[in-house]
Amino acid sequence: MLNRKRKHLKYAFQAIATVIVALATLEATFLIQYFFSRNTLYEEATRQAEEELEATNLHITDVLDQVETAVRNNVWPVRKTLAVPDSLWPLTRRIVECNPSVYGAAIALKEDYFPDKGRLFATYAYRSGDQIDTIHMGKASYGYPGKEWFIKPLEQNGGYWSEPYYDSGGGELLMTTYSIPVTDSDGNMAAVLTSDISLDWLTDMVGDVEGYPSAFSVLVSRTGQLMVCPAPAFVMRATVQEVAATLEDSTTVRDISLAMLAGERGSRQVMYDGEKQYVFYAPIDRAGWSMAIVVPHKEIYGDVKRVGFLVILLQVFGILLMSYILYVALRNQLRFREVSENKSRIDSELRVARNIQMSMLPTSFLTTPEHTEIDMSGVIVPAREVGGDLYDFYVRDGKLYFCIGDVSGKGVPASLVMSVTRSLFRSVSAHEKSPQRIVTSMNDSMADMNENNMFVTFFLGVLNLGNGHLWFCNAGHNPPVRTGPGTAALLDVVPNLPLGIVPGLQFQEQEIDLTCGEGLFLYTDGLTEAEDMDKVLFGEKQMLDNLLQSGAESADLQVKSMLSSVMAHVRGTDPNDDLTMLSIRFMNASPLAGLDRHLSLRNDINDIPRLHEYMQGISEEADLDHPFAMSLNLALEEAVSNVMLYAYPAGTEGQVDIDTHIREDHIEFSVSDSGVPFDPTAKVDPNLELDVEERPVGGLGIYLVKRIMDSVSYARKDGKNILTMIKKR
Amino acid sequence: MEVHITESEGTMTARLVGRLDTPASSEVIREVQPLLDHAGETLVLDCSDLTYISSSGLRIFLTLRKAAAAAGGHVVVEGLSSEIRQVFMMTGFLQLFEIR
Repeated sequence: MLNRKRKHLKYAFQAIATVIVALATLEATFLIQYFFSRNTLYEEATRQAEEELEATNLHITDVLDQVETAVRNNVWPVRKTLAVPDSLWPLTRRIVECNPSVYGAAIALKEDYFPDKGRLFATYAYRSGDQIDTIHMGKASYGYPGKEWFIKPLEQNGGYWSEPYYDSGGGELLMTTYSIPVTDSDGNMAAVLTSDISLDWLTDMVGDVEGYPSAFSVLVSRTGQLMVCPAPAFVMRATVQEVAATLEDSTTVRDISLAMLAGERGSRQVMYDGEKQYVFYAPIDRAGWSMAIVVPHKEIYGDVKRVGFLVILLQVFGILLMSYILYVALRNQLRFREVSENKSRIDSELRVARNIQMSMLPTSFLTTPEHTEIDMSGVIVPAREVGGDLYDFYVRDGKLYFCIGDVSGKGVPASLVMSVTRSLFRSVSAHEKSPQRIVTSMNDSMADMNENNMFVTFFLGVLNLGNGHLWFCNAGHNPPVRTGPGTAALLDVVPNLPLGIVPGLQFQEQEIDLTCGEGLFLYTDGLTEAEDMDKVLFGEKQMLDNLLQSGAESADLQVKSMLSSVMAHVRGTDPNDDLTMLSIRFMNASPLAGLDRHLSLRNDINDIPRLHEYMQGISEEADLDHPFAMSLNLALEEAVSNVMLYAYPAGTEGQVDIDTHIREDHIEFSVSDSGVPFDPTAKVDPNLELDVEERPVGGLGIYLVKRIMDSVSYARKDGKNILTMIKKR
Repeated sequence: MEVHITESEGTMTARLVGRLDTPASSEVIREVQPLLDHAGETLVLDCSDLTYISSSGLRIFLTLRKAAAAAGGHVVVEGLSSEIRQVFMMTGFLQLFEIR
């Protein structure tokens, strides 16, 4: 039990280990994939952001290029027009007309360039609705010579993009101005030509990043002015540094803004709006601006998280399923093991039981030289491991006690009844000679304890090995076959009832005489009722035919020949009943021609014990029963002691000779001596009617001899007294 | 052959064990002398373990019976086996003794 528990535990551990290994492998695969996916997703986000940055850069540069080109193309006309100051008006207007992206254009001359036009002279044309208006910008209050857009180009002697600004004149428009210096025909700085462009398109162009709906863009000028950002309130009203100071992760944002202002390119992770965000930034070289794209962490990795969650869900489901399948498989396996272990245990127990059962039955068939008068052989073929058939035999007092039986049913219960039957046979027949009394006694014992209504068909025989006389008693068993050279016939038996059915039943005994070479073939119905594949029985006829052939053969050959016939008959079928055969052949060629024994004694009564021994030997040899043997002994002792006491004169030695001749129907004693002639039979019988006082104490010996023996005769022959006594059997 | 004699109030008991054949009888007749000496009392012959008896054995029984008759006692025979009872019957001894 403990062992089995241990085994169960072992299997459970193996199963759990399998699940754990599977889980670990799955998890490792999942993690590798997860991190690989994350990496890919990050790279993808980076690529997208950089593409966006690059696209925006190109786009802005393209627009600015157009503006720059348009402005530069007008440098030469302006220079030529310097000679006619008033012509600058239509020129300015035409610049605006010809360039749709230009919002306004100006030509501002250096101080006192046209002395007759005053100190300051500047023409300005701009779009107002569908029209283009022109105004003079030379008011002292505006003071354009101090403006950045005027000073820078002159200083740098090249084009200059102004910081973006809100145009306060013509509505809330984000503007920037490109200015370029114009020299006169003498090569002196004469004027600055400018074009204003609206930056409203920036807000439309900069902003969306495909695939990341919450992502946003920030565009800053070279001084850090926010040109595009998600909070419109800050546009052109705050610098990126100012805004950075108000954010939760201000240090990182400030670092980023410094890098941006320095025209660097890169990416950083930052906490913003309560979550992790990635900032990708790059300069817009032409304008000196910088742009950043902010993508929320969760949008980069959102998918992988969702997929990861699904994968984990699937894994949990898979593991549960696998565990369940393993559990069921393991349970079935264990059950199967248990069943097969039990089965093999039962099988081995049945094999042991069969060995025990077989060892109960005698297997050496009296083949020793002292039993030349008998030839036996037998076999049991159980239908299952253990069976309910039995045979048994043994020799006691010159007689063979044998039996065959068939317990109703098969298997273990039948085998138990079989052992009981066999034990009863042994114990009852140990002190009983009559088959009828043995069978009756066995029946009583078995009927008494027969609670399961099992019964036994039984045949019991007692064969006198001296003369072939067979007493037998049948208890519902198949009649045996009387065999002999050229003969085989069913024995005519009184059927009686099987053992164990009716207690107190009187069984009938029968007897026959076997001659040398004759025998009995005993069998159970497993022989006659053996079925072939078509359910045809082996049958009594086939059995008798077989015995007719082998009737003169040895018992062993008879059994072997029968067994091979029946095995050929049942080939290809499962045996449906135990099969038992026992063949007994009487082989004594000189049955009791006679038992002749001689004994000589001295005329001394102290030799009488030798006479007892002599009689004991004879009664055993001739199988005389005890009361009979004792009365013979008494008669003989009386005859012999009579001789010892009276035949010879006192003091002389003499001899008494005793000869015993046992014949089939009688026993003869002759007692002879060489003493004085004396006829004991002549003595008058004592009067048994006398009173005690009158009865003589002697004279009973010869009287007893006469009473016991059937005939007593005296003869005087060759100087000898010969007393002959005969007793019929 | 053995004889075990025990005595109690007015009763002498002889238990006979074995075969009472001719040679044994010549000894047993001496061993039962105490019973002959008390022939006036009750004499019990226990034959439970007596396996055989010959005519010389019967002679001892009869001798004791005669002595008892003369002295006014009586003899009781106990425990006869069927074989010995048969001998008693053949010789008319069953009528001579009180058989128990």
